[in-house]
Amino acid sequence: MRALLALLLALAVAGPAFAQPSPLVARLSVNRVFITTAFTGESLMIFGSTEEPLGPGGDEVVVVARGPSSPFVVRRKVQVLGLWLNGPSARFEDVPSFYAVAGTRPAWRILPEEERRALGLGLDALSLDRRSGARSPGFRAALLELKQEAGLWQENRSTVEVAGSRLFNLLLPLPATVQPGSYRVEVLLVRSRRVVARESLGFTVERIGTAASINEVARERPALYAIVCILLAGLTGWLGSVLFRRS
Amino acid sequence: MQIYLPIAEMSVNALLLSGIGFVVGWLSGLFGVGGGFLLTPVLMLIGIPSPVAVASGANQTLGASVSGLLAQARRGNVDWVMGSVLVVGGLLGSVAGVQLFALLSRLGQVDAAVAIFYVVVLGIVGSLMVMESVRAIFRRRAAMPRRLHQHSWAHGLPFKLRFRKSRLYISVIPPLAVGFFIGVLSAVMGVGGGFMLVPAMIYILGMPTAVVIGTSLFQVVCVTASVTFLQAVQVGGVDIVLTLLLLLGAVAGAQFGASMGARLRGEETRALLGLLVLAVAAALLWDLLRLPPNLFSVGPAW
Repeated sequence: MRALLALLLALAVAGPAFAQPSPLVARLSVNRVFITTAFTGESLMIFGSTEEPLGPGGDEVVVVARGPSSPFVVRRKVQVLGLWLNGPSARFEDVPSFYAVAGTRPAWRILPEEERRALGLGLDALSLDRRSGARSPGFRAALLELKQEAGLWQENRSTVEVAGSRLFNLLLPLPATVQPGSYRVEVLLVRSRRVVARESLGFTVERIGTAASINEVARERPALYAIVCILLAGLTGWLGSVLFRRS
Repeated sequence: MQIYLPIAEMSVNALLLSGIGFVVGWLSGLFGVGGGFLLTPVLMLIGIPSPVAVASGANQTLGASVSGLLAQARRGNVDWVMGSVLVVGGLLGSVAGVQLFALLSRLGQVDAAVAIFYVVVLGIVGSLMVMESVRAIFRRRAAMPRRLHQHSWAHGLPFKLRFRKSRLYISVIPPLAVGFFIGVLSAVMGVGGGFMLVPAMIYILGMPTAVVIGTSLFQVVCVTASVTFLQAVQVGGVDIVLTLLLLLGAVAGAQFGASMGARLRGEETRALLGLLVLAVAAALLWDLLRLPPNLFSVGPAW
């Protein structure tokens, strides 16, 4: 009975969608990014189409991508007896390991300020409030700067390109230092300073192959890993001296 | 050719790593030392995080020392009794050293602490080497007779043990203390410690030079194995891909260096090594003293 109800409900929702095309459709070029031993970073494409024409005076598209969150520590060096040592530090909880936002135009030009902040569009809208340690705003600024330098946080690095006023695409570069985990991508359609449609997509970054197995063994069974490292290093040293002996 | 290092979680040029291994191996073959004291700072210089540089440096030194130990053992140049006493001290020292390292990394002071250790230890050792070899070069002209070994305060302590191979009858306390100290340095600096152990064995313990190299290699292999194990289990910094790439270059370089080193004279070689050690210390000191390009750094919280 409940299953039947659910089916009816699903039909009721899906029905109108068939009748009129949705205002926004978006997809990712890949759903899984693999970190292999030869991984040097990868770019993925976010593409889609809109019902109404895009561009000046028309609709706008904003794309935001977020990686898995984890706590980070920002440290500031201070001079002690002439030496530069790490001094005060601030710990930030829930820091996205990856964050990128881009649009056909910057989000702050096409959305009201409160709306933009509520949606977390822009590095200044990232909530980094759960923090402990040093309170100085310099630490937050340093976190933003260092993450951007590493290419892990990107704000309007490139714009969403529009072709034929209805097709759009964005190339999202992932640097070699991306963390494994699940990533969320949201594509928002903005019309007259309001979000009128959105599409939520996702992809995962996974370690596979040798790099993955090594990392897993090192984490799960460190004693075994350590012994293998010792034996491998010893064996390589011995083999090498046999191979390269010059006497 | 870029390769992803699974533990360092970064992508590095494999040829660059093997090249660094080759140059360090060549220098270590030339001077007859393990080369860890050059390798770890260079790794940190190219951006490898210091916990990974230290732990993998120790692992690399282990591999680079194994063949030397086997060769010395075949020629009967290892004093196993003295070696065992040194190793016991070294194992205790490596345990203490890794605890210190883990504490420093919780405090976020690993980078500076490792650099300070390097500056102090290399500064002292380098200066002593240069002074000693300069004195030896002058003494060679005067041709002074040398005693079999010097008697020092180390010969008056209790718990005496007979070390046949070294022709010594001394207390086990000095070798234990020497081994312990080298073990701590090995754990914190990612080195084998041969460059300190050899002079300590000659001047503090009074061992004959013939067995010094073999016995020190025995201690280095055992202690770097212990450091590798403890670092992998406690800190998780041993990157086997990094280690093997470095070793690949190092074992080749060491053979070239060794055949070239045979043609250099002892005192001149030691003076050159001393200058090299001082240069590394100076470079690291400069890094600590100059205004850092960025005062802030970010890292994952433990």
